[in-house]
Amino acid sequence: MNLDAARAALVEEARELLVAMEDALLQIEAGTGGPDGINAIFRAAHTIKGSAGLFAFDNVVSFTHIVESVLDRVRNGKLEIDEAMLSLLLKSGDYIATLVDAIERNTEQEEPNPALRSKLEAELKSYLDTSSVAQTALEAAEPEPAAQLEIDEGERVSSDNWHLSLRFNEDVLRQGLDPLSFIRYLCTLGRIVHLHTISEPIPAAEHYDAESSYLGYEIDFESDASRSQIEGVFEFVREESQIRILPPHSKIDEYIQLIESLAEPAGRLGEILIHGGALSESELERVLNQQQEQDRPPPLGTMLVEQQMVPPNVVSAALSKQKQSEEKRSHEQKFIKVEVGKLDQLIDLVGELVIAGAGANLVAKQKSVNAFEEAAQSVSVLVEQIRDAALTLRMVPIGEVFQRFPRVVREVSRDLGKEIELVITGAETELDKSMVEKLSDPLMHIVRNAMDHGLESTEDRILLGKPSCGIMRLNAFHDSGSIVIEVSDDGRGLNRERILAKAIERGLISAEQHLSDNEIYRLIFEPGFSTAEKVTNLSGRGVGMDVVKKNIEALRGEVEVDSTPEHGATIRIRLPLTLAIIDGFQVMVHGSVYVIPLEMVIECVDLVHQDYRHNIIKLRGEPLPFIRLRSLFGHPPSAAQQRESLVVVQYGSQRAGLVVDQLLGEFQAVIKPLGLLFQQMKGIGGSTILGNGQVSLILDIPHLIHMTSQREMPPMLATSRSELSEKINH
Amino acid sequence: MAKTILIVDDSFSMRQTVSIALKGAGYEVVEASDGKDALSKLDGRKYNLIISDVNMPNMDGISFVKAAKLLPNYKFTPIIMLTTEGDDSKKQEGKAAGVRAWVLKPFQPPALLDAISKLIMA
Repeated sequence: MNLDAARAALVEEARELLVAMEDALLQIEAGTGGPDGINAIFRAAHTIKGSAGLFAFDNVVSFTHIVESVLDRVRNGKLEIDEAMLSLLLKSGDYIATLVDAIERNTEQEEPNPALRSKLEAELKSYLDTSSVAQTALEAAEPEPAAQLEIDEGERVSSDNWHLSLRFNEDVLRQGLDPLSFIRYLCTLGRIVHLHTISEPIPAAEHYDAESSYLGYEIDFESDASRSQIEGVFEFVREESQIRILPPHSKIDEYIQLIESLAEPAGRLGEILIHGGALSESELERVLNQQQEQDRPPPLGTMLVEQQMVPPNVVSAALSKQKQSEEKRSHEQKFIKVEVGKLDQLIDLVGELVIAGAGANLVAKQKSVNAFEEAAQSVSVLVEQIRDAALTLRMVPIGEVFQRFPRVVREVSRDLGKEIELVITGAETELDKSMVEKLSDPLMHIVRNAMDHGLESTEDRILLGKPSCGIMRLNAFHDSGSIVIEVSDDGRGLNRERILAKAIERGLISAEQHLSDNEIYRLIFEPGFSTAEKVTNLSGRGVGMDVVKKNIEALRGEVEVDSTPEHGATIRIRLPLTLAIIDGFQVMVHGSVYVIPLEMVIECVDLVHQDYRHNIIKLRGEPLPFIRLRSLFGHPPSAAQQRESLVVVQYGSQRAGLVVDQLLGEFQAVIKPLGLLFQQMKGIGGSTILGNGQVSLILDIPHLIHMTSQREMPPMLATSRSELSEKINH
Repeated sequence: MAKTILIVDDSFSMRQTVSIALKGAGYEVVEASDGKDALSKLDGRKYNLIISDVNMPNMDGISFVKAAKLLPNYKFTPIIMLTTEGDDSKKQEGKAAGVRAWVLKPFQPPALLDAISKLIMA
């Protein structure tokens, strides 16, 4: 499991690097790539090789290695990059991408295209002269002939060994220090693969001093010791001698990786390098002292590279890490933390401002002074902007909620012994912070439920011919003033028969009732409903989906369920974007003003009063159920032939019409909660204060639509209106 | 053949500690209580290494090193100076006298043994 995740991360990282590599190559082609370009390409190849090596993806390692070798020569100025090489490198990048694809498909053992590979390899190798191939040859399958181990110019860095370059000062023997003993001591840390004695400095016989040390040594050293351990061997001689320690190839990777993975990077280059193990403290101290002695000191990084103490790519990795942490720091400064209470206070004030602004607008209209009306108008435009800005302060990406699910899915899938992959989309979708906190538990329940009941066991999936790995999806998006969160799985779907049987058994419905599929699915949200044959510790205690539904409804939201047998189920949560202020649409019914959330209004149609049967109207050939608000709220029926309007509203995929007396237009409604007494009332979602100080009710459109689709017109508030005013009076 | 180390220190307990550590590591040990005593023991015997304190009566460590470097038989003998953190000026003097290996007091025996094995072939 862990390994799979790491593998996925490798694939992802490799793809990003390949894209970066391609970009850099194209920039070079366009002539816009600086010297950093080639370094970036090299690093990309290098990192891919390094990570692939961890997993022993030899195909990738061996191919990338050749690419890297060519790039290394380019980087060191030994090769000029030209048109042909660019296209070869691009093709090679593509081939690495195919290799990476193979890793993703778990088929990395096979070479996807051996012919192409050998062609590319041959072309790449033509850029490398034979000696350098031997130099950096990675696979030591065949022991290299001894002749090739000869040192040339002391420059050679064998890929797997440390390279030590030792030049002791002439007085070393007189100081009682024997170079040989240091070398002997070195052997306690590892194995000297090869030692070459540099004898050129030995002067002619007449100048020769028998007590002086003239010899230098180039040592290839195989060891697992750290740089500072190796450096410590020369503790007593390093001050006056030239000791250069070049790390093996693999160590360079390690340094770069260590440096890149530093969590709390030190701010200074030297410290980063020490943390990464690429430099010892005493080495740093020495170079810093040298730096101070100079009039115009070069940057530390330059000095380290010039003195060959740290390889250039390690320095550049450290530099980019340093830059990164600086950027991070400055990025962090762009945020300030604000107490939630203060934000809420601001939103409240904006709400009051909106109401007061509406009042001012009203007065302006009544006075009908043009200048005043214009002024009021521009104020209300600004107020609207302030409202939107204030509300976005509370908006956070839903990713905050989603991000805890990968872990949950991983653990649950392990507990259940099912292979489950989680796909998250729309994590950047924003919603009100107060909802985020309340969403987490219901979502958790739905996800666990789906994993437990929805997804089949791996064996069943294979038998059904489905991919063995089940897929859970979390998705979020904005849809006409709502945020929609979908939790879907590709499991067996809801079992219609079993739900029906269980519901009858539990007495939730009678056996005679004829229900549509959707109505049956919705039964899972009824209190006390659970179809799990056995209770697991994840779900199935019978408290669950009904609680989920209740929680969502408390947020003025809705839960729906969609299911296709054998293909999975989707649970869809629909929530209002904000809980505080909405754009409303005012309508008049028998002298009372009601507010409809504007996002839900589709259109308004004039209607001549007629007695429509069954409360269905044909609108442009489509049947549309409607409700007369007059009868719903217990107002007296309208007079015959009176002009009425039909407001078409939509929620989710359902539409309905609301018949009202008069349309009054848009209005910013600050939602005030209903008092405890009225919270149980269906069809009303809240109240708001109009510009003239009147209280107006906000219609709960989802509920009204639901009523029309049930084709039952409850004599809902026939008597309740008088009760209502009674309650208000008390 | 076991390697021989000359320990120069005026403190008996220090000599003893070092001596036990070295003998435990298989070295032969010759002890001297100050620079003068030590010089008298540079009498043609073969020492693979000299470990010397800096502050001692009669002849201090630095003077002893300077004198020892003048003796043909001992001019190439590795020397480790035992010194305390604060002895920076002494360290400069010692450096001028040709000492390069320093071990800070107080030291852990393994650290001393490690320094020794860097200087003389095991």
